[in-house]
Amino acid sequence: VFPDSRPLQRPRLKALALFAATVLALLSFGVLPLHLRSLGMAEFSPAVYAAQSGPRTLLHLSIDYPENGSIFPPGITPPTFLWRDAAGTSWSIDVTFAGKALPIHALSKGEHMKLGAIDPDCVADSNEPPKLTLQQAATWTWTPDKDIWAAIQANSVAQPATVVITGYREGTIAFSQARITLTTSADPVGAPIFYRDVPLMPSAGRNGVVEPLAPTAIHLIHWRLRDIRKLESHTVLKDMPTCANCHSFSADGKTFGMDIDGPANDKGLYAVVPVQKHMTIQGKDMVHWNTDGKVGQTRVGFMSQVSPDGRYVVSTFAGPDLKLGDTYYVTNFMDYHFLQVFYPTRGILEWYSRATGLRSPLPGADDPHYAQTDGVWSPDGKYIVFARAEARPPRTPGQAPAFRANDPGETQIKYDLYRVPFNNGKGGVAEPIAGASNNGMSNNFPKVSPDGRWIVFVQCRNGQLMRPDSQLYIVPFAGGTPRRMRANTRLMNSWHSFSPNGRWLVFSSKARSAYTQMYLTHIDANGNDSPAILIDNATAANRAVNIPEFVNIDGDGIEEIDVHVADEPK
Amino acid sequence: MQAMNQRHSFNLKLSRMAPLVPAALLLLGAGPLLAEATCTPPQSMKAQLQGKPTAAAFKELGVWFADQQQYACAADAFASSLQTEPDQKDAPHVAFMFGVSLYFSGDVKGATAALQEAEQLGYRDIKLHIVLATIFDSAHTTKEAEVEWRAALTFAPESSAALDGLSNDLILDGDFNGVIAELENPRLLGQRTPQQSFNLAAAYAGTAKLDEAVNVLRDGLNTSPDSLPLANRLASLLVQINRPDEALTVLDLALAQHPDDPEVKQNMAKVMQVLGAVK
Repeated sequence: VFPDSRPLQRPRLKALALFAATVLALLSFGVLPLHLRSLGMAEFSPAVYAAQSGPRTLLHLSIDYPENGSIFPPGITPPTFLWRDAAGTSWSIDVTFAGKALPIHALSKGEHMKLGAIDPDCVADSNEPPKLTLQQAATWTWTPDKDIWAAIQANSVAQPATVVITGYREGTIAFSQARITLTTSADPVGAPIFYRDVPLMPSAGRNGVVEPLAPTAIHLIHWRLRDIRKLESHTVLKDMPTCANCHSFSADGKTFGMDIDGPANDKGLYAVVPVQKHMTIQGKDMVHWNTDGKVGQTRVGFMSQVSPDGRYVVSTFAGPDLKLGDTYYVTNFMDYHFLQVFYPTRGILEWYSRATGLRSPLPGADDPHYAQTDGVWSPDGKYIVFARAEARPPRTPGQAPAFRANDPGETQIKYDLYRVPFNNGKGGVAEPIAGASNNGMSNNFPKVSPDGRWIVFVQCRNGQLMRPDSQLYIVPFAGGTPRRMRANTRLMNSWHSFSPNGRWLVFSSKARSAYTQMYLTHIDANGNDSPAILIDNATAANRAVNIPEFVNIDGDGIEEIDVHVADEPK
Repeated sequence: MQAMNQRHSFNLKLSRMAPLVPAALLLLGAGPLLAEATCTPPQSMKAQLQGKPTAAAFKELGVWFADQQQYACAADAFASSLQTEPDQKDAPHVAFMFGVSLYFSGDVKGATAALQEAEQLGYRDIKLHIVLATIFDSAHTTKEAEVEWRAALTFAPESSAALDGLSNDLILDGDFNGVIAELENPRLLGQRTPQQSFNLAAAYAGTAKLDEAVNVLRDGLNTSPDSLPLANRLASLLVQINRPDEALTVLDLALAQHPDDPEVKQNMAKVMQVLGAVK
């Protein structure tokens, strides 16, 4: 109805006022030279200048990707270099190596950054096509062909390669330059990544209740496997009639567990099956968390984790006296950027034995005075690391509604990380993990490195999952000084998973687009990580990638997952 | 409902709006009659507006007038809607539209009160705060404007309009650290407008962090190569930190794109003077 109000800001007047104020400010701080005031007294002659023009001091162009100090996994597909340049209209890319390898010289006329193809099935009134940011729109790109990239990789293992990008005008006059170094790790990733590939299409149902995805669009969720040495991912599961959610694999890659909603939206089902090239999930493979048969009473198997040996599953449950609705803060928004806020405010950890079919509370993590969640196993199966916060109702009477992620109206909860011995299910005393507790932030989503030395966790201001401000931290397993990871991007860093050899971490981020993408970072023996490496082409530009998890199998270890349970009558 | 009650006196409204209304129309009579005379509803809505029109009909009429950019008429219609049914479910939105209509019709004071009323009624939208902030900026009440820009940012943390506006005001208030805190948010990397780069660099310069200021301007210029303010400011700072050679290249590029810009010429002259190139 109304025009944009911005023109009424009178930009020229604002700019003028701003300029005057800035000059005054700069003068007052002694920043601008006094002789600046006399500018204009000296006359500038373009002709004289042109006659004297010679070699220029090169301007710094901005290389945005890869970042300086990046470490690439061996065999990853060629990355696309990204830079912005005020000066250049064509560029040279020179790669030099520390050894005797010949340098590589490439020329680029420059191609602007482009968005990938979109999935027309995922276009909706409630989302927008992906779009380039102001910076991205000004970005130039170069992607080495596979032979050049292979040469770069082969010669940058022992010592870093130096990449120099130089911008030219009028063909040969250099005006700008910047350099980075990059390394190829000797550590292979060594395993494919299993992830969920989803549309971002929030939907307001008939009663106005917002859902993250309309039931009619659930079939658009895909589950995919990616070998980072290949150009594309392989879809292993799609066209599910009901939702499938969090998944986990045992450390040996032999057992797979996944939440699968059953008939009547029963969210109390969990599939545990052997990992095979052609997997089939049938009714007999399903665990019914709601053993009393009452759908949705105690569900939930929130963040269920299969034990390293595949014998157990640890998960979060409401406990015997609470209903699901009394234990979770859930708010969905029509804003597709961050369309859901979802975290437990109560709950206990329980462990499930596949051998006995019994589920039992885990002493030390079963206190109803706390919300205990996000349980994960240490690689030896001896400890459970989990997030704990003082229990509270999901909502209080009169509580203001939240209108977006991180809205102050959200129920406030800050988790601390704890560790409790599993002790064959007998549990023990839970101890806070120093560096990941009592720090005024919400510490959550822990993952223990395969060597048992480190915990990588998410820190944010409130709650957990899909937090815009989420950042990855690393802390020694026994506790200690946490370190904010170098790989963190500007927006949302979470859903991380260690590679089986412990040298790589995959995580999700919205750094480049509201449509979440996957990144890798290398972690050395001392827990030092490197700038984020994008996993290219994981999905369409208007679909999101989340819950990535390394699977300890060959790159093509899963061909398909056939689910025969979701539509079975109960 | 103070603003709305004020607004419901059509005579009062029209007297306030006199400069916007042709004198000939003022002679036509009292407020409502005048409103009818100047604000002609579409033929398609006349039936709805006969007798005792409903609040919804007035609202629809307001939307129609707004679409026609007849904002005074739209404001009258929205006011009538609220007057007809003050407790209507959509009252917050109608109050917002009433406020915006007043704003676009030139009644800034009434618009301010109406928009604040809409917020109190529960209307939540970034546009409300952007309009209010713009109004406060126009009145040079930057502190109040800052509050509204910040409120807008709670809706959209990356809103260019709000970040431009807020950083402008913070610079005007000399709150350089505030500008740095707002614009160095990691979430905004890759999102900075030229205005934000300019303001952030000014804030760094204002806190004697000249290298940071240069880096921000350089990065901003790499995103917006045709920005003269960024080029000129970068050149000035490079001279200040004894890097006139680099300043020369910056200005050389700017001159190529804007050969007649006096500030570029002045800066170029200065740089060349520093370099000893101009006798």
